[in-house]
Amino acid sequence: MAAAHLKSGSRPRSVWGRLLYTLLLVSALMSDAWSAPYIPSSDSQVLALLPAGARHSSVASRELTRTRLDIALPLTQFYISRARATGDLRFLGYAEAILAPWMSRPDVPAQMLVLHATILQSRHLFNASLTELDRALAMTPYDAQAWLTRATVLRVLGRYADANDSCQHLAASADPGITTLCIQSLRGLTGQLPNAYAVITALPQQALPPEARAWRYSELGEMAERLGDDPAAERWLREGLALAPDDFYMRAACADVLLREGRAAETLQLLAGYESMEPMLLRIAIAHRMLHDAAGAATQALLSSAFTVEQQRGDAVHRREQARFLLDVSWQPTAALTAAQENWRVQREPDDLLILLRAGQAAHEPKAAQPARDFINQQRLQDMRLTPYQAGP
Amino acid sequence: MKRLWLLTLLVWTGAVQAHIASNGFVVAEVKGQEISGSVELAVRDVELAVGVDTNHDGKVTWGEVRANAPQLLQYIGQHLLLSAQDSACVLNLGALQINERVDGSYVWLPFTAHCPAAVQRLSIHYSMMDDIDPSHRGLLTLTAGQVTQSGVLGGPSARTAFSVYSPSKWRTFVEYLQAGIWHIWSGIDHLLFLLSLLLPAVLIRRHQHWEPVTAVRPALFSILKVVTAFTLAHSITLTLAALNVVRLPSRLTESVIAASIIVAAVNNIFPVVTDSRARIAFAFGLLHGFGFASVLADMGLPSGARLLSLVAFNLGIETGQLAVVLAVMPIAYAVRASLVYRRAVLPWGSAAIAAVALVWLVQRALPPIV
Repeated sequence: MAAAHLKSGSRPRSVWGRLLYTLLLVSALMSDAWSAPYIPSSDSQVLALLPAGARHSSVASRELTRTRLDIALPLTQFYISRARATGDLRFLGYAEAILAPWMSRPDVPAQMLVLHATILQSRHLFNASLTELDRALAMTPYDAQAWLTRATVLRVLGRYADANDSCQHLAASADPGITTLCIQSLRGLTGQLPNAYAVITALPQQALPPEARAWRYSELGEMAERLGDDPAAERWLREGLALAPDDFYMRAACADVLLREGRAAETLQLLAGYESMEPMLLRIAIAHRMLHDAAGAATQALLSSAFTVEQQRGDAVHRREQARFLLDVSWQPTAALTAAQENWRVQREPDDLLILLRAGQAAHEPKAAQPARDFINQQRLQDMRLTPYQAGP
Repeated sequence: MKRLWLLTLLVWTGAVQAHIASNGFVVAEVKGQEISGSVELAVRDVELAVGVDTNHDGKVTWGEVRANAPQLLQYIGQHLLLSAQDSACVLNLGALQINERVDGSYVWLPFTAHCPAAVQRLSIHYSMMDDIDPSHRGLLTLTAGQVTQSGVLGGPSARTAFSVYSPSKWRTFVEYLQAGIWHIWSGIDHLLFLLSLLLPAVLIRRHQHWEPVTAVRPALFSILKVVTAFTLAHSITLTLAALNVVRLPSRLTESVIAASIIVAAVNNIFPVVTDSRARIAFAFGLLHGFGFASVLADMGLPSGARLLSLVAFNLGIETGQLAVVLAVMPIAYAVRASLVYRRAVLPWGSAAIAAVALVWLVQRALPPIV
């Protein structure tokens, strides 16, 4: 009897032993997946490819950017252009570094103020940007660039009447085509969408200076989206991208059209090579999710960590993307609503309205999106994408 | 007409949200007068700060970084200043390594710092990249005792101060002891397992029947064996798991814990193992130890007092367990001879325990229904 007990007692333990061993192995393999600092095995291992303009500069040449406006100004413009062309935020920092000593001078040149305003705008510090623009315009009232940037900032803030006022000022100093685009794009947000769409469609490409041509496509694409004509939107945006492949805004907008139509694979195709940019990565993650493919997990983890770092830094730049990530990728409606509400405090573009309304509905708190509904009614904003959510609670 | 070079920026607000801004990473752990940790800078930022692309081919190689290590160490030494209560600490940078992050390769340097006094308020003056990229920030993870805080370094106010709270060893001990007691009392599954093994300890199996033991000694001895085996087993695995030697997925341990209760309880109704319940206690105790460890993992072990808090937590578990044994077993001993105990409490109590455990097993083993 006792021997039988012993036997029955010892058998399961050997099973346990085997099980423990297997699990040990599995957990060891899993923990190895995490990277740790290492010493490269070869001196020739390339650690970084330096983009143009990201090289060490000598103390002497840096001194020149402090004293010579004719050097500082184009260099700052170059860095801002690089930031625009590559989506690389570090370039904005380099531009800021050149501006910094100039900004503390009592006689800061107006052009420097406009550049500073541009940087502030791209960091979503819209009110600070407006302050700089007003300072610049007080010095040089006919600065077309300053009026145009001012119109942009006010438009993002949802202050359409003030934005229109800035567009009107453009007439005195800018190309008439640019002034038309500026004014019509605002009419398209304030109850005149079909008419504004027709006016811009009729605006011949040749009538616009080359630098404004991509802008026209981008406005047309956006307007077609709001009119609910996604095929037309895709056409405009693809034409625009052929002209300006580096225009991230148009690429993201085009991806949104494709995603709305459920064309996830084409979205991935469109965004291939743009993974280092968060707004692009967000859309890639949504596409992966639609396709239920394995690559989605890695993308999701990458975005998550990027948002965490931003949050730790205290940057508010990516709230809209974060809200959409929480809603469309990781499905946390309550957190998405919070992010969308915080985003709404900062900016009021149609996409910001959309994410607030969607998050409100997903979190079963449609009341939370009431500010968006009030805004739509006040401005008589037309946007077919928003219609399903407009009824309210 | 003046060309509007910025024009396309008009529609740029959505698109500028790209790439990750320039970040450095500082990890620091304070232990009395000593600080240890690591500092990380992106290879791209290293190029801007000290110029490591010596052959100007636009590629930074490991060889180039190594060759410029002295300048880099000097730069970091000048731009990362630590002080305790406003007295400077002496920083020592270790050997260069590389760390891969989401946005590229980073130069990773371990450091130690010796401060003139035990650190209570740590000031960090972080001025890396400040004249090259003012938007650069250092992201700090600072640990002292069991408290970890994060912070942002650099920016307009290059100097940031952190108060370092490190609870005394005694406080840590008491805290973990309480956590251990609380866990065994609130984690009813461990107690049910132990009780299932102890209920028959006041009885003896003879001719297919339970009979009361005739003296205190054998009952006491039986209880002692089971409790000791259980304690020994879960202490082993708790320690291994808490020190990260072994790790098991929690779904597995939780499921097996539930299964262990069923085994122990059913064994009381249809006895298979009667004279060596200590073996069951030991075998399954190993798994229960992993269960305790998951609680400890949630709390985290304070790095300054890992062993102390581990011992305290374990002692807490034993204390809580002992209290229950002392409360229940004398009663069981007193009523052991009654028919109610042998025919009702033992089999039906065990059946009830097995039923509860079965529900747990199903809940824990099956994936959650979405």
